[in-house]
Amino acid sequence: MLALVLALSSGAVGGLLVAVLPAARSRLRNLVVLFFTVGGILGSWQVARLVWAGERLRLAGQLGGLSFSLEPDPLGVIFGLIASTLWLFTVVYSFGYMAGKAHQRPYYSFLLLAFSVTLGVAFSGNLVALYLFYELLTLTTYPLVIQERSEEALRAGTKYLLYNLAGAAVLLLAIVLTAVWGGRLDFAGGPILAGGFKIGLNWLLFLFTVGFGVKAALMPLHRWLPAAMVAPTPVSALLHAVAVVYAGVYGLLRVVYSVFGTGLLAELGVGALLPWVAAGTILAGIIVALRQDELKRRLAYQTISHLSYILLGAITLHPWGLAGAVLQMIGYAVLKTAFFFCVGLIAEQTGVTRVSRMGGVGRVLPKTMAAFAVTTMGMIGMLPLGTFWGKYYLLQGSVAGGKWPLAVVLVVSGFLNAVCFIPVVVKAFRAERTPSPAPEEGGVRVALMLAPTLLLVVIGLGMGLFPGLVWPGVQAVVDWFF
Amino acid sequence: MTALLRANLPVLVVIAPLFIAFILTPLARRIRLVETLAFLATVLGLGAAGHLATVVFARRGSPFIYQLGGWPPPWGIELVAGNLGVIFALVVTGVSVPVVLFARGNLTAEVGDTGRVTRFYVLYLLLVGALAGMAVTNDLFNIYVLVEVVTLSCCGLVSARRHPRAAEAAFTYLILATLGSAFVLGGIGLIYMLTGHLNMGFAGQELGRVWPDYPHTVLLAVSFVIIGFGVKAAVFPLHVWLPDAHATAPSPASAILSGLAVKGYLLCLLKFLYGVFGGVLLRELAVHRILTLLGVAGIIAGSLLALTQEELKRRLAYSTVAQVGYLVLGGGLLNATGLTGALFYLASHAVIKATLFLAAGAIQAATGKSRIRELAGVGRKMPLTMAAFTIGSCGLIGLPLFFGFIGKWYLLVGSLEAGMILPVVAILAGSVLCAAYLLPVIRTAYFRPAPAVAWRDPGRPQKLALLLLATAVVVLGVRPGPFLELARKAAAELMAFV
Repeated sequence: MLALVLALSSGAVGGLLVAVLPAARSRLRNLVVLFFTVGGILGSWQVARLVWAGERLRLAGQLGGLSFSLEPDPLGVIFGLIASTLWLFTVVYSFGYMAGKAHQRPYYSFLLLAFSVTLGVAFSGNLVALYLFYELLTLTTYPLVIQERSEEALRAGTKYLLYNLAGAAVLLLAIVLTAVWGGRLDFAGGPILAGGFKIGLNWLLFLFTVGFGVKAALMPLHRWLPAAMVAPTPVSALLHAVAVVYAGVYGLLRVVYSVFGTGLLAELGVGALLPWVAAGTILAGIIVALRQDELKRRLAYQTISHLSYILLGAITLHPWGLAGAVLQMIGYAVLKTAFFFCVGLIAEQTGVTRVSRMGGVGRVLPKTMAAFAVTTMGMIGMLPLGTFWGKYYLLQGSVAGGKWPLAVVLVVSGFLNAVCFIPVVVKAFRAERTPSPAPEEGGVRVALMLAPTLLLVVIGLGMGLFPGLVWPGVQAVVDWFF
Repeated sequence: MTALLRANLPVLVVIAPLFIAFILTPLARRIRLVETLAFLATVLGLGAAGHLATVVFARRGSPFIYQLGGWPPPWGIELVAGNLGVIFALVVTGVSVPVVLFARGNLTAEVGDTGRVTRFYVLYLLLVGALAGMAVTNDLFNIYVLVEVVTLSCCGLVSARRHPRAAEAAFTYLILATLGSAFVLGGIGLIYMLTGHLNMGFAGQELGRVWPDYPHTVLLAVSFVIIGFGVKAAVFPLHVWLPDAHATAPSPASAILSGLAVKGYLLCLLKFLYGVFGGVLLRELAVHRILTLLGVAGIIAGSLLALTQEELKRRLAYSTVAQVGYLVLGGGLLNATGLTGALFYLASHAVIKATLFLAAGAIQAATGKSRIRELAGVGRKMPLTMAAFTIGSCGLIGLPLFFGFIGKWYLLVGSLEAGMILPVVAILAGSVLCAAYLLPVIRTAYFRPAPAVAWRDPGRPQKLALLLLATAVVVLGVRPGPFLELARKAAAELMAFV
């Protein structure tokens, strides 16, 4: 119980503390940020250990006239661990990236607040709590999107808010309907809905899909995500490739396994449609990515594509598919964050933000580009990287779930990922010209950015070579739902 | 003494502000004393309302019936303090305290010399007393008298600022509100003609018997009542007077007009529709459908209009039009859940809108700016004011754990129980639109670069008032339990007629 409180509160406490610290004390602020991030990690690891040991952690109460409950289960624990681990890397990276930039105090303050809120999403035990944190996640990350305070950033921020708040409104309707039809909102104790009026249930599933689909960037609800790339790169890396978008995906996994249940979902027409929405998003996302010249936007569209991998695995309604989804969640999060970190390193050191100007970058930034190349392989889903295993189980799951065309989609998508990024790597290493000003990979600031990047790449490789390390966590999720 | 007070409790809630209002005028030279007395009057009212609440609660549902002058109905005027009366009396007196606190030492800039300030307080107390009267009265003609008192004092409050625009707004308001009064009076006259009673209980019973014989007259009476109160409560599309009136009034007046006065008329409307006409008749004439449609239209149109406003106070005023839509909609659902939601939302909107208007007033007074895009940097220069505004906005948007969310939740559930999808869409769209018109204010205040000027938070009483209201928004949001229970019981009282 204490672990749960520690995990959830450390980010919020740290964030508020940072907000009242004098803006000029940057060293002290960094220490506070680091301290509370580590606190959150320790809390969530302890939560994970207890949940895996089979203990029931539950914090519940009547708040605001409704019952809220926090009750982590194996799936929530996986999301919580991914988020909190990557938060540490991002915080360290930010120390380098943000050094000397304006508005640092609100940046760190909201980064920590968003940490608490993300863990809240992961550990929520009923739909009301999930809704609360889902909504709060939008509001706490909004200031990070408009970090630059430029007109472009403010416009993107407005788009971000409107898409996400509208999504949350639809979600609220779905939750109210679930309360009226299902009679309860808790995840514990099996799927909430047991059956009933088919047309209504189809609509309900549709509403849930729209509500969570906004954050999961399901096409055509994805437009806020490329716009949000005006945010600083660590924010894009952590929030808009992992935490915020995973909140949407996580919500959809909850809908599939905790609200409807696999049995009921298989009977619904919309349920049969969902895999194809996911498949369409996978292909369309990566095809649009091919046409983007700006690196961050290309990565954003690729995020859209990859989020649907996870979704697709979950709605094969087969244990292997779910295992693939969870593995993909872990492996992809690690490598995509590293990928964004590389892009940030390149932009900060050479000023290059576009694919067309990447020529020669590999010569000046060999370590960064090497990491970039490895993460590229991860995006394709090649061995020896962690994402391979996710994809492997996704393929197995879609065939075993009787939806072999999905497997074809996955293979084609892997190929398109290669087309999308391998030329960039090749171009960077061909010495066409030296970008000016000539940078060097040195100094404390760059080291602070490079170290977490390389470490993440190593973790990604480790997961590929020793998948047994993460398998128990995946197994726990599959056992929990099947 | 206590026994005497206790026996006369329902009338005390009304009398305390009304009586003190009249002794203020000769004290105009001693403005401090006037302010203190006005403050004490509202505190006294709140105390009486709170005590009344405990008494009614102890009676376990049977209302506290008080006969004015000892004359029993059908001859005398009857006051009935049930849960419905208690919830509204609590809201009126509860909001009136921070608002009067905010006005303390702060009005001369907006209103003028001490004589005018005193007049402001007189009107303010008359308004509060009459609104409290609406909560407890059970007599048709008494309602009409209170309606006129509220209308005229509102009109005076709107014109309190020395500004041509204020005079114009007050004049428009006067004309339309008088028209509304005429309709209300017409409606009451028709009911009296049909039933021979002015006591709401007797009139309702009698009407239930005779209405099949006079269907057209009843229809006319219902339409008169709806139009009359509709104009006064700014039910879309009869809202045209509201934005000017509420935007040009002095800030404490805007807060009380938007927060409370409009609600008083809505309460009367509900009392008429449920208590006098009754559920059978409402269903027969499809009045509830009309109310629902009016509510939906109000939410959507009010929010869209709010979105186009550039001035902060006008934006808030249009937002009131939208929020009135929620209450009308809830009243039209004809089920206990929807009605609970509407009554709870009435209370939360009163508190929230008062917070927003007072914060907006403080900002306008400190910066001299009224347009939203000129407010860059207010968040850093006036932290407390802007924090109150932000909390209020979160409540109005309907974030969980803020006052207001659970009201919307009940309205949603109520609409689904009634099997209607249109209100559901409107409620949700209204929330999103509300975010769309309030969040830009917050964004500009906090995230746009601040100009180099010395704006400061208002004085101590103003800060305290904002703090009280903002705390209420959060505390009642996290722990709405007792209040929700009260709303539920009050809704049950109304539903007893259906």
